[in-house]
Amino acid sequence: MKRTLIVFATLLASCSLLTQTTQAQFEVGISGGYTRNYLKTSAGYRSFTQYHEKSGFVAGLVLQYHFNDWLAIQADPSYIQKNYELRRDHFFEGIYQTSINSYIQLPLMAHFSFGGTKFKGFFNAGGYAAYWASGRVKGAMANVMDPGTGVPDNQQSYNYFQYNNAYRYDEKYSFDSRRDRRMEFGLVAGAGVEYLLHKKFRIFAEARYYYGLSDQQKNYMINQIPRYNDTYVLQAGCLVNFRQLFPAKAKTEAQ
Amino acid sequence: MIALVLLFSVTSCRKDIPQINDPGQYVEANFNEIFDAYWNGMNNNYVFWDIDTVDWDRVYRTYKPLFAKLNANDSVDVQKAYTYFKQMTSGLVDSHYDLSFNDTWLADSASINPAYQRKRASPNYHPGISILHFYNVITSKYLDPDRVRGFTNFPDGSQSVATSGTINGNILYFYFKDFRLKGLFNTDTMNGVKRVETWFFDKLKNKTDIKGLIIDVRGNGGGALEDLDFLVGRMIDKPITIGATRSKMGMGRLDYSPWAPAYVRPHKDARAITVPIVILADAWSVSMAEMTTMAIKTLPNGHFVGERTWGGNGPLTGNKFYNGGRFGTAFLNEVYTSSLTFRYRDNKIYEGIGFPPDVEVKYNKAELDVQIDRQLETAIGLIK
Repeated sequence: MKRTLIVFATLLASCSLLTQTTQAQFEVGISGGYTRNYLKTSAGYRSFTQYHEKSGFVAGLVLQYHFNDWLAIQADPSYIQKNYELRRDHFFEGIYQTSINSYIQLPLMAHFSFGGTKFKGFFNAGGYAAYWASGRVKGAMANVMDPGTGVPDNQQSYNYFQYNNAYRYDEKYSFDSRRDRRMEFGLVAGAGVEYLLHKKFRIFAEARYYYGLSDQQKNYMINQIPRYNDTYVLQAGCLVNFRQLFPAKAKTEAQ
Repeated sequence: MIALVLLFSVTSCRKDIPQINDPGQYVEANFNEIFDAYWNGMNNNYVFWDIDTVDWDRVYRTYKPLFAKLNANDSVDVQKAYTYFKQMTSGLVDSHYDLSFNDTWLADSASINPAYQRKRASPNYHPGISILHFYNVITSKYLDPDRVRGFTNFPDGSQSVATSGTINGNILYFYFKDFRLKGLFNTDTMNGVKRVETWFFDKLKNKTDIKGLIIDVRGNGGGALEDLDFLVGRMIDKPITIGATRSKMGMGRLDYSPWAPAYVRPHKDARAITVPIVILADAWSVSMAEMTTMAIKTLPNGHFVGERTWGGNGPLTGNKFYNGGRFGTAFLNEVYTSSLTFRYRDNKIYEGIGFPPDVEVKYNKAELDVQIDRQLETAIGLIK
């Protein structure tokens, strides 16, 4: 994976050398949006148990360096949630655990623009590295040491919580260094539209997909079922053109 | 084109998700299948991988080729497999653990119980105190004449036994062989154990001059978890937290739920007991007997006299309820193993090591032979 990122970075660098002109300019902005993360894994033969996707959010900076009209390199240092849920059903309805996983992420992408002067479309493609900074687990489980109200002899029962009361929790996730792999690498691709408000500002909206290539777990057991994050993002943001914002300074620098 | 090739090569970096099958669905046609069913069943369902020192991957690498050489239709090889199962499980910390077999060639072989094998090999090993000591000696030598005793037989050949009485008029004593207290008490008809329970619960609630209480779970093999509230809940007026439990959460060895608090809640007929409560337990006090010991020890007026307990604290129920614990395969009648891990309120897990007493009084066969119960006498001395 690391080799792939190096190859990708080299390609970008080569491209930049080929296309570098005096038009090169730097833009900085912010972005934020909605995430929906799918954990690519399997619950195996666990009874009435499945993994489900879960929503979250992303917020961060956008750094773009334009080589020309159509090509830029973009890095988005950001905070992103890659959440998922383990849920049981049928007689075990109500038992669940939502994992809220916070990552500090750095996608590095080639940014391809096309279209008019003010209104443009764009594609992003690249790779990312992320650090699993913290986690939180929230859920409900049947507490074996907290008997429920019981079921009268002549009645049916409908839920396991009738036998054992629910224990509801919302607590910090404790990392296990034997199992948890906190660095994640993967691919990212996105597409969107941007609009030039003035010469100084651009707003954009983008749909993006992060494809995790690192198992969330270290290789700690034989017959391990891997876990990969697949994260869809809808985000919007705003970019400021430094050359336009500080024209005098930019001119001075150019001299 | 280059980008497509790059994309394809990188996306194929993900590992395949293996197909892990329910151990109960394997066919016992050969020892490859038999081994895989058992090894995977343990891999996914055993709840103590977090603390167990057995290297289960090493077990795979060592025993997978050995099992592959065996023939499931050869009685000598089946016996050899029995030996391998014994070796593979000998270090498992779960002290409820018991392997029993379906194979007719192993019909005369005992089930494999690693904790028992370790106890037998220990220099401190001693047999459990005879049931007759509790039923005859204690009742006749230590209890006042108004004592009660009784037993109840079950269709499976097992028997519950209980005795109760006062010592010196003001120490209330209660012994019971196993935890079937609530079930036997709630029967429509009277039975031997229910008669003893009725007497004891009445004294516990209404006797005003109690100076102390002795609960005797020596030799008690455990039983129903519901008895914790049913018995200890009669001695408290507000809930107490005695520790916590956790279950498996996912297929990985280290996939666990959070710790859920383990409560004892007051019974509707509770009376807050403020006088000393002494629990007697020994190396043959197992499971619920140990949890009850821990619950009593949690009370400010609770004391534990006797020996370090057996060390099998994890609650047991069906696999589907907590997605872990006991399972079976075609070859193995049952892999009897805890469904959850129990942790005492001091955040220590006593599985495999047993719960230590406040006042240690060791088993003394010579004294017991002449009807001297040093452990009981120490408990009485603590109350006096």
